[in-house]
Amino acid sequence: MRAPGAGAGASLADITVQVSETLALIAAARDVTVGCSPKEPVWSCGKTTLYRYLPLAAVPRGRPVLICFALVNRPYVLDLQPERSLVRRLLEAGLEVYLIDWGEPDDADRHVDLEEYIEQHLGGSVRCIRSRHGGERLELLGVCQGGVLGLCYTALHPDAVAGLITLTTPVDFHTPENLLSKWVRGLDTALLESCGNVPGELLNGLFLALMPVRLTQQKYVRLLSSRPDQRAVEDFVRMEKWIFDTPPQSAAALAQFVRWFYQENRLMRDTLSIGGRRVSLRDIRQPLLNLYALEDHIVPAAASAVLAERIGSRDYTGCGIATGHIGMYVSRAAGAEVPRRIISWLAERS
Amino acid sequence: METPRTGTSFKPEEAYATAAERFFELMKTFGMAGGTSTDWKALAAPLATQFERWLQMSQAMTPWFSAAAPGPFGGASFGAPAAAAFGPLAFGPAAVSSAPPARTLELLGQLVRLQAELARHWSEIAGTAAQRFVARLGAAPAAPATPQQALQLYEIWVNCAEEAYAATVHREDFSRLQAELANTSAALLAEQRQQAESLVRALGLPARSELDGLYAQVKDLRRELAELMQSRGATAASGGAAPRPAAQRRAKPKRAPRARPRAGRRARGPKR
Repeated sequence: MRAPGAGAGASLADITVQVSETLALIAAARDVTVGCSPKEPVWSCGKTTLYRYLPLAAVPRGRPVLICFALVNRPYVLDLQPERSLVRRLLEAGLEVYLIDWGEPDDADRHVDLEEYIEQHLGGSVRCIRSRHGGERLELLGVCQGGVLGLCYTALHPDAVAGLITLTTPVDFHTPENLLSKWVRGLDTALLESCGNVPGELLNGLFLALMPVRLTQQKYVRLLSSRPDQRAVEDFVRMEKWIFDTPPQSAAALAQFVRWFYQENRLMRDTLSIGGRRVSLRDIRQPLLNLYALEDHIVPAAASAVLAERIGSRDYTGCGIATGHIGMYVSRAAGAEVPRRIISWLAERS
Repeated sequence: METPRTGTSFKPEEAYATAAERFFELMKTFGMAGGTSTDWKALAAPLATQFERWLQMSQAMTPWFSAAAPGPFGGASFGAPAAAAFGPLAFGPAAVSSAPPARTLELLGQLVRLQAELARHWSEIAGTAAQRFVARLGAAPAAPATPQQALQLYEIWVNCAEEAYAATVHREDFSRLQAELANTSAALLAEQRQQAESLVRALGLPARSELDGLYAQVKDLRRELAELMQSRGATAASGGAAPRPAAQRRAKPKRAPRARPRAGRRARGPKR
């Protein structure tokens, strides 16, 4: 670096101008829309709604695909905008796509537990889709925590699921790099549950605290350094909207999830029961495609990749993709690779 | 198109402006505006101080930490709105004591102790980050002169800061502290709710625990209804607890069949 002279002050002034210009672009993008593919509600249970995306192909091909997203975030990140939409790519491939939106639990839902989510909400969605498709089995695509729910459901109801796709799905919750797991290991889950539903803001804070400088500072400074145009800023704000759009969590379900998975690692230890029925990954004999992110700070790659050793299926495909957790849904590289892998995997098995 | 239910956390302009402000502060510390050569070693102390201050100001990022903030009942956490309403309980029936019970005081004291412990961690992280940064830049001759150089320097700083942060927050003692903060905040909230329940009961108003008991009963009834419907083969297509197709839900509602609790089966009470 050269010793700065009079030019240095000018440089700082340049950056100041850049900041104010970017601020104006952010303000203009504040009301940017999210979610792009038309869909219709076809079934509901409690706060959960099952949506069917309007097919793009005149004659849909293959089995219906049901997307089961995490409870902790909103699923429209999979259909954020036309060029960043896993849903859109699946529809373009001629698939019939359904999506579960868990909605926003309120106080009346504080006792909704994992059994209810899995057996009634997810199970009810599966039954609804199968009845619409002549009893045909479906392809279940579970995302993050939704992948855990999908694994549980498939183990319990093997006859309903033809194939399972898991995306950034944790299986081993005790891998050494899992910071979230370390932090919640000592939580008193009974006390947590007695406090009622957990606000979304609290979960957001927790996720940001995993890498606070990168997630609350660096990403904004990088926006500054990239000299973004209005469109780039709109893309950025779309992501911001999604990141901070976290619904509250049902007290019972969250307490169970923390205790059974994060604290007791029941999937790995093969000690999980849902509604009195044993859930064993060995009972999953369906073809399974497991996609995980190699730079994931929320679900470390090792936490996901271990699925290969645990399931009963002989048709297992695992694939690590060089991106982060959220990058799996929206980054340009993964935005092409993830749908391509899913579509070709489904086509090979249809 | 979706309608995001973004809460109070979605403030992109504010977040961006805050990050930019912190960036400028760093650049000034790096000597960018001064036009002089930089003695990196001398920067360690001010850098550490700035970072420690930032960590302390960003405590809200660690969700339960805010509940540990000084003050009678903390800030936003599990039940902020309810918690904030607990200070002035001096009115109401005489049966309700207006003095904070010993348990509440004990929990508040515990929170203060945990907060002090957390502050020590912030200090350690900040010091380590600054030392790492100085060590990494030891050979660099001068302050950044161009925006590009400034941004490169910033990236190095962020790496050092995150490495130092990770080295501490992955440790068992820090993880235990995080859990203790959460558990103490939750216990405090539970204690406050208990006090509030005493008051509302004395006023003849429904209490949280009674409402929870009703929710639990409704859930049990729904489950029984679903079991009944399944046994009659009525849920093959609709599945679950009285769910109906969305289109049908918009139609004129039919009267739901009345479910009777099974003889000898008691409705579940509150989970406390």
